[in-house]
Amino acid sequence: MPVAAGRLRSAARTQPTSGPATRGGPAKGPVSQRLVRAVATLAVAAVVVILVLYPLGRLAVVVGTDTSGQLFGGAPVAEVLRTTVALALAVTAAAVPLGTLAALGLARSDVPGRRVLRVAIVLPLLVPGFVLGYSWTQAYGRGGFTDFLFGLPWRSVQGPAGVWAALVVSTVPVVYLLVAVGLAARAEPELARAARSSGAGPLAVLVHITLPLLRPSIAAAAVLSVVSTLDSFAIPQAMGGSGDFTTVTMAIYRRLSLGSDPAAFVQALALALLLVAVTLVVVVPADLWLGPRLRATRGAGPSGPVAVPGASRPHARSTGTGMHARSTRTAMSRWISAGLSLYLVLALALPMVALLAAALTPAVGVPPTPAHWTLDNFRSVLNARSLAAFGRSAGLALLAAGLLTVLGAAVAVLERRRIGRALAGLVTVALVVPGSTVAVALLISYGRWLGGTLLLILLAYLAKLWALAHRPISGALDRFPPGELQAARASGAGLAVAVRTVAARPLAPALLGAFCICGVTALHEVTMSVLLYGPGTETLAVIVLNSAEIGQIGPTAALSLLLTGAVLLPVLALWPAIRRLRTR
Amino acid sequence: MLQHMVDHPRRRRIGLLLALVGLLPAGCRAGPAASSQGPAPVTLYTCVSDSTIQPVITEYKAAHPGAEISLFRAPTGELNARVAADLRSGGLKADVIWGCDPLTMQGYVDQQLVGGWTPENAADIPRHYRTGSFVGVAVLYLVAVHRRGTPAPASWSDLTDPAYAPVAVPDPRVAASALGALSYFANAKGYGTDFYRALKHNGANQVSTPDLVTTGVAQGLYQAGMTTANSAYLAKSKGSPVEVSWPQPGAVAVYGPIGLAQHGRDSQQAKDFITYVVSEPGQQVVATAGSYPTRPGVTGGPEIPSGAPVVQPDWPAVSADRDRLLDGYQSIFGS
Amino acid sequence: MTSTSSSHSEAAPLSGGSAAPPDLLQVRNLTVRFGSVSAVDDVSLRVQRGEVLALLGPSGSGKSTLLGAVAGFWPPEAGEVLLHEVVVAGAGWGLPPERRDVAVVFQNYALWPHLTALDTVAYPIRRTGRRRLAARTEAASILELLRIAHLADRRPAEMSGGEQQRVGLARALARRASLYLFDEPTAHLDAHVRGLFLAELVARRQATGAAAVYTTHDAEEALGLADRVALLDNGRLVQCGTPEQVYSEPVHAWAAHITGAASIIQPAGLLPPSHPPVSGLGGTDLSGPVLVRPGWARFGGTLPGRIRGVRFRGPDSDFLVETPAGEVLIREPGPPTRPVGAAVEWTLTRAWPLPLTQR
Repeated sequence: MPVAAGRLRSAARTQPTSGPATRGGPAKGPVSQRLVRAVATLAVAAVVVILVLYPLGRLAVVVGTDTSGQLFGGAPVAEVLRTTVALALAVTAAAVPLGTLAALGLARSDVPGRRVLRVAIVLPLLVPGFVLGYSWTQAYGRGGFTDFLFGLPWRSVQGPAGVWAALVVSTVPVVYLLVAVGLAARAEPELARAARSSGAGPLAVLVHITLPLLRPSIAAAAVLSVVSTLDSFAIPQAMGGSGDFTTVTMAIYRRLSLGSDPAAFVQALALALLLVAVTLVVVVPADLWLGPRLRATRGAGPSGPVAVPGASRPHARSTGTGMHARSTRTAMSRWISAGLSLYLVLALALPMVALLAAALTPAVGVPPTPAHWTLDNFRSVLNARSLAAFGRSAGLALLAAGLLTVLGAAVAVLERRRIGRALAGLVTVALVVPGSTVAVALLISYGRWLGGTLLLILLAYLAKLWALAHRPISGALDRFPPGELQAARASGAGLAVAVRTVAARPLAPALLGAFCICGVTALHEVTMSVLLYGPGTETLAVIVLNSAEIGQIGPTAALSLLLTGAVLLPVLALWPAIRRLRTR
Repeated sequence: MLQHMVDHPRRRRIGLLLALVGLLPAGCRAGPAASSQGPAPVTLYTCVSDSTIQPVITEYKAAHPGAEISLFRAPTGELNARVAADLRSGGLKADVIWGCDPLTMQGYVDQQLVGGWTPENAADIPRHYRTGSFVGVAVLYLVAVHRRGTPAPASWSDLTDPAYAPVAVPDPRVAASALGALSYFANAKGYGTDFYRALKHNGANQVSTPDLVTTGVAQGLYQAGMTTANSAYLAKSKGSPVEVSWPQPGAVAVYGPIGLAQHGRDSQQAKDFITYVVSEPGQQVVATAGSYPTRPGVTGGPEIPSGAPVVQPDWPAVSADRDRLLDGYQSIFGS
Repeated sequence: MTSTSSSHSEAAPLSGGSAAPPDLLQVRNLTVRFGSVSAVDDVSLRVQRGEVLALLGPSGSGKSTLLGAVAGFWPPEAGEVLLHEVVVAGAGWGLPPERRDVAVVFQNYALWPHLTALDTVAYPIRRTGRRRLAARTEAASILELLRIAHLADRRPAEMSGGEQQRVGLARALARRASLYLFDEPTAHLDAHVRGLFLAELVARRQATGAAAVYTTHDAEEALGLADRVALLDNGRLVQCGTPEQVYSEPVHAWAAHITGAASIIQPAGLLPPSHPPVSGLGGTDLSGPVLVRPGWARFGGTLPGRIRGVRFRGPDSDFLVETPAGEVLIREPGPPTRPVGAAVEWTLTRAWPLPLTQR
């Protein structure tokens, strides 16, 4: 409250200077304003058409009017599709329980090392998918880390089982985040306490109260898990590339990047369209069911606008689901902590160590002991080509993140009108359209003019990631207390001054967050880049993928670490800033 | 509040929004513009390894100040796909193609994408390494790699012996050297496609590239495999537990030709580059970078062990037969 | 503070006869800490069967925290909680809520958004092992009892605040506990619903003999409903006694203000010898401050004063009278009869000397 009061005061202070200027505004009349608004809406709509509607429409038309008769010829489409769907379901079946358990476990306030674990569990999001998959092959594959140390290779890590495991690891953080947010928003500690004091034990509370309350969050996480697995390319390519294991995205890549005959091309188009169809089959019903439930507030009642004196009393020990004797309580927490730590070591730490060992080892088959360590691999990959690619990646990521933040904010603001809502819906659709499909659609729409240029890659990033920027900004606008801007304007501030003095600060974390998430995703994006790059426009992620395909382990490991560092370092650098903004 | 904002938008805010939307095309234009500064660069498509192509470009630029090379480097299969993609969207974008095998290159010539010119200094290159459309500038030798401790295979047919199982072979649809080997074995006495069938029968695994074969053997995944001499010797020199052998009737020599694209933008710059690679200084760079040059008398590069047998596929004969060869192979190793 | 402790250190009910019945709830030197903040600081209390104890204090005084410690939501830092003379919580440990013979009505109702009213009320019954049908039948009868049978199929989002409140109450009743804990049960209720609720609470208590502890910041409610009232301030117990005790004999000025309208005057030299005797002041040294409740002074008599403010309250009217000893609030039945600024005479009928130690 003092913060809000301070904001109001500062808004009031600015009144004398800004007052006269803005007071002139309304005289110009609402007609010009309406015009400006219409133009803005049209401009954003045009961008949506260019990025999303036209390419997808074109893809559908090209496939629909194909007369070659080879759309599904020669390709085991059914089998590839079955593999992909089975993989998506298997990943979801494992990642959703794991992520939910992690969120429930880490909601307990007395878990040892909770602060570290809560950060560590989402770290796989910052590790590029390809690097994660590749590090698993180095850790657990034949001739890998566990093979070297204990003679324990996991032979099928380079195959469906390994792809599944690595995808689970990369999906768990998403589930964790969604469920943790749902836990904070829906499963208030009071509700669990009410159940405990109604005679329910901890397990009964979990089954009867907590999980049902989390159902929308868990369902949303499951949908996202299915969609992201259908969309996944880097991990299957890194781990299943050499076997018979083929997903739709891999098949598209092979047909576009390895096949040179026309039939392969139309087959890639057909697969791209098929993939988006499968995705929509999952997403549309889920959205119809989930949408209202996720948006629904708790309705009338306590969480309404009633300000309760004393309601903000401390909620420390917030799990508050009751207590046992102290010893059993901490034993449970210690188990949670130990389990999560073990999981993180196996899923992330060990593979990363294995990757580092591979990067420091001069050649395959040389024991990764300190005596053999060398920086030769790093030296060999830090050549003009990869440095230029890094520059391109960083530039693309920054440009894309900046534009996306603006576009996301634009749609979030326009969305408060009917036409804007339609735009927001379209933008969200682009997020669930698989990257391979976006790339193929853009390629056949603009490839003739932009093929192989950075601009085409940028367009792909914008189309695919727009919703990623839009969501957090829109959420922040939703949460922004409606009275604050009005209070500032009632205190004499013009709209611009009011936005700057009152809205900018609370919205800053969302804007910065949107910028970061888009930047990070663009930096390690490979699904679309690898289909769109051309001479002189490789991104760093594409270089890493190519290096792995050629089969040189040491240089690939070194490149992978550099790519991961390129993603991690800026985020770690910006993290304190985001935190500071959040807590204010 | 938001409703309010939308109901009474201020000029400035929408103006800002418009400015940013307007900025989009401007910002996008910066993309390709940034990559095309200076004189129009020569666009080079190649499948030659980074360790060879980077020094060549560096030295070329040192010898030709102001010259720019825009590089697309990928294994042969991807190169083919790239060319096909170019053709779908308005035509080949390359000015120079430096391939890894004459079959693929001849394919480009047949499509009238490459050819019509070879540099004058091409005459210095042995006849069997050039045609009227392109010149070989590097040679890949397909040799056998095997784990240290396993006896060296005396002949290629030894690889069908269970003692060498499992064996790894590179994919001819991806790697030019593998395509070259297929070209040789398919028509060689006592081999033919039956050789591949016997390999498969012996549990042979197909991996995509020769480097993956070497890596797999070094890791102990495979006992032996077919790979390029460069890849095998490099791994051995760095300490990998592998040995290299040149089995009878010989290592398959696959030459990497360079050729001029027929509809390149600036053919003079492209010709300069090709001439440089064929020239003695260019070949010297190729050799120093670890590849086998085609120009006689260039030293300082990797050397063929004395007495090691080398065989040359009959390129003109197989080039007519390429698709049938790949189909036959596909029926054995195809997935 | 220390001077007041003697009056409440043994907070047994007044009715405690020769053979005091065993305490249903005992809180002994309880301290609850959240981080470095002591929310409850060394509090001792007792509640007997059939008794209603009100915890009265401003927000942040530790009432709800104390209630949570009794319910089993958080363990004490120090001290003990006993139910039926069995220790259920000690320093750093405690039985979980489901194993305590306690039911809770939550301040924010804490209704489960995914359950209907019927299922909500049936929930505690199901936890005792009853079958679904039996539990539902019993839950329906409880809803009937509270006259909210029509809400049976509604979820919280479809109910008003008052309806949610009553479902929360029904859920607590369904627990059939010996001790009911109400956390600000009337904070969200309008006057009408509040009256209904209080009647229900009283009826319930009489029917089952259960005891209740409830927190409130409303003095009238605490005094009117509870058998005893405990005053809490900053986590500390200030006073505990019958409503008459805490109203008429507050331990200091703060306690006087929190329990109702209070005028505190310095009567030294004010009362002439002709003034009729003031009850509660017999033989007391009049040099210190004394408490005067609104009904403890009346118009007429000899003491001088001037009306500074008038407030009509419906059944009666309040007059704020400026006197040489300080301002005094005088309450008279009926609408206001005297204007602001009028000079008046008045008489002090009763007073309670406050200790000099001001809070």
